[in-house]
Amino acid sequence: MYLRTCAAALLIFGGGIALRGETPAPSAMPSATAVEPVPATAPLTKEELESATRIDSLTIPSPGELMAALSKEAKPNWQGQYRQPIPTTFASRAQIAMNIGGLIADGYIALEAADSQQVKNIGKDVITLAKSLAVSENVIARGNSIFEFAENNEWSALKEELEATQNEVKLALEEQRDGDLVWLVTLGGWVRGTEAVSSWIAANYTPQSAKLLRQPAVVELIRSRILRLPERMRNDELLEEVLEKLDEIERLVSFPEGTTPTQEQVRELRDLTGKLVARISQK
Amino acid sequence: MKPFLFLAGVLCLPGGLIHAAGEPAAPSTPEVSPAPGATDAATPTPDESRSSQEADALVAVRASALEVAGAFSNDGFKTRDGHWIGPIRAKKPKVIQVNLYAGNQYWFTAAASEGAKKLAVSIHDEKGAPVQFQPYRDQARASAGFSPDISGPYYIRIEEEEGDPAVFCLIYSYK
Repeated sequence: MYLRTCAAALLIFGGGIALRGETPAPSAMPSATAVEPVPATAPLTKEELESATRIDSLTIPSPGELMAALSKEAKPNWQGQYRQPIPTTFASRAQIAMNIGGLIADGYIALEAADSQQVKNIGKDVITLAKSLAVSENVIARGNSIFEFAENNEWSALKEELEATQNEVKLALEEQRDGDLVWLVTLGGWVRGTEAVSSWIAANYTPQSAKLLRQPAVVELIRSRILRLPERMRNDELLEEVLEKLDEIERLVSFPEGTTPTQEQVRELRDLTGKLVARISQK
Repeated sequence: MKPFLFLAGVLCLPGGLIHAAGEPAAPSTPEVSPAPGATDAATPTPDESRSSQEADALVAVRASALEVAGAFSNDGFKTRDGHWIGPIRAKKPKVIQVNLYAGNQYWFTAAASEGAKKLAVSIHDEKGAPVQFQPYRDQARASAGFSPDISGPYYIRIEEEEGDPAVFCLIYSYK
């Protein structure tokens, strides 16, 4: 709730409070080739590593981050990663949550493809699914923004709006005391994004792009949070399958630093995530 | 009492608020939110007023971080919608795990509320070793810019080097 308060206040006050000091000049931007010396910083202690905070909204990267990284390595044909429209009616709230996450990832794919009609179609499906979770009120407002930005080809704003829409769904779930479903939205988005990226890399393999798929801590965190779900929810047949497949997926994205997955391993990841995405959207 | 100090005190209490977008708050965790009707013309009750101050402080600290990140946006960085807000005290750093992709560029920006005098942000690899990053510091606001060569988990450390207990907000931008 307070986030909405923050957002409202930011709008009311035109984006903020008085400046203190100077903001960084564009020349201060980081780059791989021009980095200043490291300030004196001690290594993290064992206690700091073990007690580090891990939260959905920052620890899990958005699908857009993975796609941005791949787009630096190559020029993927993102339209080739579209999938058939998914059903928008499901009996289980857990399945609806996972599919909302998946659709948000579809939105990022359409955005990378600069396909405004596809973005609008996906936005419509997100709203339909959100309605079935009864969390649609604020999501509809976001959906309208998505339509507007897509109509005007405002791709930069769309990228932020997609993540904001996903967070709006999550906030609404929390407010409905359905916070257990939040991680399922995250899961759906991560799996669909990883499927799209691994699918492209499998077909256009380079060692450099394959190394992008290293995300051990992401899967481990998602899996650990799903294991905390109430037993009644975890015993759902679909979630049991999800957990089983996440074990296999974790193995494939947990390769050590400095090693490179083979094309065969990337294909295996594509197939596993593809099957999981298909299962999640199966009525 | 200054609202920032009051809020920091509340947040530092056992069971106090450490809340982040997308993370469900524990049922026992009191959420800082505006009191119902606090925006009505009627004079707010003391509780309503306090609640409003707390919400204002959270808004201000996030706005302060967003202000710095706004400079990065001008250079094509996208600021993530999520953020991490919590209490911080001098010499008691906070650490969060993030997952970064090789080739992307990142800026991690933290801002602290009134009371904090000097803030620092540093970046560490998955074993906790500090990595080379580009620092930016402005009293109670600080950023660290980084472009990883290896995809995987990293840790962001936020430290209040000088000052009183405060509230901080961490956000990040990427491109």
